[in-house]
Amino acid sequence: MRWKYVLHIIGALVACIGLTMAFPLGWGLYYGDGTAYPIGLSMGITVIVGGLAFAFFRDPEASKKSSVMTHREGMAIVALGWFAAGVFGGLPFYLGGTFESVVDCVFESLSGFSTTGSSVLVDIESVPRGLLFWRSLTHWLGGMGIIVLSLAILPFLGVGGMQLYKAEVPGPSPDKLKPRIKDTAMTLWKVYLLFSAVETVLLMFGGMDLFDSLCHTFGTMATGGFSTRNTSVASFDSAYIDYVITVFMVIAGVNFSLHYLLLKGRFKVLIKDPEFRVFATMIAIFIAIITVFVYAEGNYDTVSDSIRYTSFQVASILTTTGFATADYEMWPGVTQAILLFCMFVGGCAGSTGGGMKVMRIMLLFKQSYQELFRLIHPRAVSHVKMGKTVVKDDVLSGVWGFFILWLGLLVLAAFVVASTGVDVVTSFAAALACIGNIGPGIGGVGPTDNFAWLPDIAKWVLTFCMVLGRLEIYTVIILFVPEFWRK
Amino acid sequence: MRVIIIGAGEVGFHISQRLAVENKEVVVIDTSDEALRKIAETSDVQTIKGSGSSPKILEEAGVDKADIFLAVTDSDEINLLACSFANLLNPSVTKLARVRGEMYTDYKHLLTEQGAEITKIINPDEEVVNSVLRLMSVPGAVEINEFANGKIRLIGVNLPEDSHLIGSKLYNLREKIGDELGIVIAALVRDGELIIPSGLDVIEKGDLVYFVCDIRDQDEIMRQLGIFAEPVRKVMIIGGGNIGFRLAKALDNKYYHTRLLENRQKRCEYLSEHLDRPIVLMGDSTDQEILREENIQDMDMVIAVTGDEETNILSCLLAKSLGAKSTVTRVNNFGYMPLIEPIGIDYVVCPRQSAINTLLHFIRRGKIISSVSIKGEAAEALEAVAQEDSPIVGKEVKDLKFPRGCLVLCFQRGDDVVIPRGETVVEPNDRLIIISTRQNIPKVEKVLTTKVEFF
Repeated sequence: MRWKYVLHIIGALVACIGLTMAFPLGWGLYYGDGTAYPIGLSMGITVIVGGLAFAFFRDPEASKKSSVMTHREGMAIVALGWFAAGVFGGLPFYLGGTFESVVDCVFESLSGFSTTGSSVLVDIESVPRGLLFWRSLTHWLGGMGIIVLSLAILPFLGVGGMQLYKAEVPGPSPDKLKPRIKDTAMTLWKVYLLFSAVETVLLMFGGMDLFDSLCHTFGTMATGGFSTRNTSVASFDSAYIDYVITVFMVIAGVNFSLHYLLLKGRFKVLIKDPEFRVFATMIAIFIAIITVFVYAEGNYDTVSDSIRYTSFQVASILTTTGFATADYEMWPGVTQAILLFCMFVGGCAGSTGGGMKVMRIMLLFKQSYQELFRLIHPRAVSHVKMGKTVVKDDVLSGVWGFFILWLGLLVLAAFVVASTGVDVVTSFAAALACIGNIGPGIGGVGPTDNFAWLPDIAKWVLTFCMVLGRLEIYTVIILFVPEFWRK
Repeated sequence: MRVIIIGAGEVGFHISQRLAVENKEVVVIDTSDEALRKIAETSDVQTIKGSGSSPKILEEAGVDKADIFLAVTDSDEINLLACSFANLLNPSVTKLARVRGEMYTDYKHLLTEQGAEITKIINPDEEVVNSVLRLMSVPGAVEINEFANGKIRLIGVNLPEDSHLIGSKLYNLREKIGDELGIVIAALVRDGELIIPSGLDVIEKGDLVYFVCDIRDQDEIMRQLGIFAEPVRKVMIIGGGNIGFRLAKALDNKYYHTRLLENRQKRCEYLSEHLDRPIVLMGDSTDQEILREENIQDMDMVIAVTGDEETNILSCLLAKSLGAKSTVTRVNNFGYMPLIEPIGIDYVVCPRQSAINTLLHFIRRGKIISSVSIKGEAAEALEAVAQEDSPIVGKEVKDLKFPRGCLVLCFQRGDDVVIPRGETVVEPNDRLIIISTRQNIPKVEKVLTTKVEFF
């Protein structure tokens, strides 16, 4: 492990993040809401610290073309880079006086970058717009990935690119859309940008102003969930806006490689993709079931209202966005159970969604079925398949390992949160909401509550969980394995 | 007519023997002295020792004067190369190549259109798979052949003992079966002898009956004949080689429950990776344990297609004794053919026979579209178009100078299938299905060819 090299690259990442603060700075100046100074100062600090690290740790040996970034270095850069992003991303909140404690700033910032959307803000609307814009922008940057962004724009990352890319976009099987990793990253960002532009325009048709449209687009496309209103999307009270956001949440929950192929006119690839089919079927079935229950229970007067609120909530939870237009805690118990299941599943692999990913859940089920099948046909030679492709054994064991670690860390986090005096349902829900990058949970952290009241220790643990979930466990947890540090 | 055959293996041997009997000039090229000697001893052909892919040898064999060029060695590459050279030396020759590798057959168009301009790629494995699929499509039939692009079928059935047709004369058949159904009895096999019947022949108990019908009437006719077989759904394929794999792939859908038994671990992995629904089992086909474990007694059909015919025959017998409803076995060696039925195996498929059938149709003179051998090689059914200048056009069927032991089974006229009577007149562009014993084939060919060549 070449520490200088790792810090050198992280420096570049931090400087990059600093530069993106120019956008909220622009809004701050435009609105003149007093945020220009704290944001400008944060930007200055971030860029200078990052730049200094980049320059100071320059290692002539390591910058040579021949030196290849190792797998370990890639993981260390991505994991530490994310935490650094969280700290520096929290600076505007700290300097802007939004929060007094450091943990709140970091929590809010990493909740943004990791596209979780859990908030420690009590009164969102009282926060100046420049800062709100930065809060939503962190979603958008973190959604497609800050490393993927850097890969697309920083030429010198090309060499070790694949290591970084694999560490940030893990998934059971990473797709490479183009022969060069830089072009893959660029392509993904272009697709992301395109959808974001379309959604912004559509939201503006629905009567939102540019600021709100952009912020909600960032929250949607990144499957984040930060809103600019205290009552989230419900405050706009427009069926049109609800449906636009619902559709784009679903879009954001689908593998972006598929979107790329779709935009190239290969519609069949999308329809035939096994993961997409399961994802789409799940959405349809869950919406149907929940609609029936909430309508029968009398939560809503009309069928169309039931469908509207149900589809928004299902899409929001399943894709792990976390916007809310209704308080699902008022719904019948069975519907909450379904939504709880959705929290575990999450979006498709290669999407901006969190959770365990549809692909992994499918593989787990397929492999379990495989075990039953082998009991019936002891001599059968069979493979787990996704569509027509055989899933290799090492991928499967990787998925099992992920599953166990995910659940284990979820339980551990819930345990620590509960030990700070929080009730057990809330502890569990908060840990799930953070590790799954969802945002709201149930109990004390439901869609109408927030995370501000939790003790500091709980917030630190949950902050850590958000990064764990976003980088899909391995990249982060590996830092805590002694073997990783051995020379 | 000069025919050059590359490869004196089983296919080369049989085809050269057949053609020599029909008085064609046959040149066989092979690298093995042994194989050439065997051919030279049994039939009147010229043999040349050497590689079929060598242009020098091809010139020596007189490729410039040849009409037909057959490349039927066991190597796809040699066959393709030989055809390419033949094409360069004499572009007008009809080139036929036996090619089995999927990597080539998937790109048939490249080989047939540009490049080698091979007239026809023959893949015996594919033909075998097709014949098994045909067998499955008509439960209860022993043999099925298709004509007129699949519109007309020649079906062989063993009549059940209580069939009401037993004991009736053939000219009474229509009354018994009903006038709407077009059926012609093409041949009867009695005690291993093939009879091309006349109206006076009587159907007897134990006869294997070959009949021709419109495919649309097929199911109704089978019912009338008293054959009520369950459709085939549960299938076990033994042997996951080329044929087994292709077959399993063809049965890879919701309708069939397919099991594929293979004894090589590596191959099993490959099969399981490339098949969706069929269950790939690893084990030995002669292991009773595994057959029982997989409910062999419930199988509608057990198809043994390993490369080893002894294994195939034994596994089929074992499966049958354990309760499998019907069995299909793949046999390469023609010598085993007479054995199959007496020992209780229901169907035989033979890649070489299939290859020969396909090759024959290209070798037949006149406008014969296809021809198949039935009952081993005892007879051949031909499909021919009556061209406008053909001597048979305008004549009544009874005036056609076909030899004895030869029967016009039916016509396809436009979309209709016409069952001819003595007075039926042959019209231009009719497709005739004719059955003939093997010895009479050249005479039939003569009748069908154009006037200039006619006697």
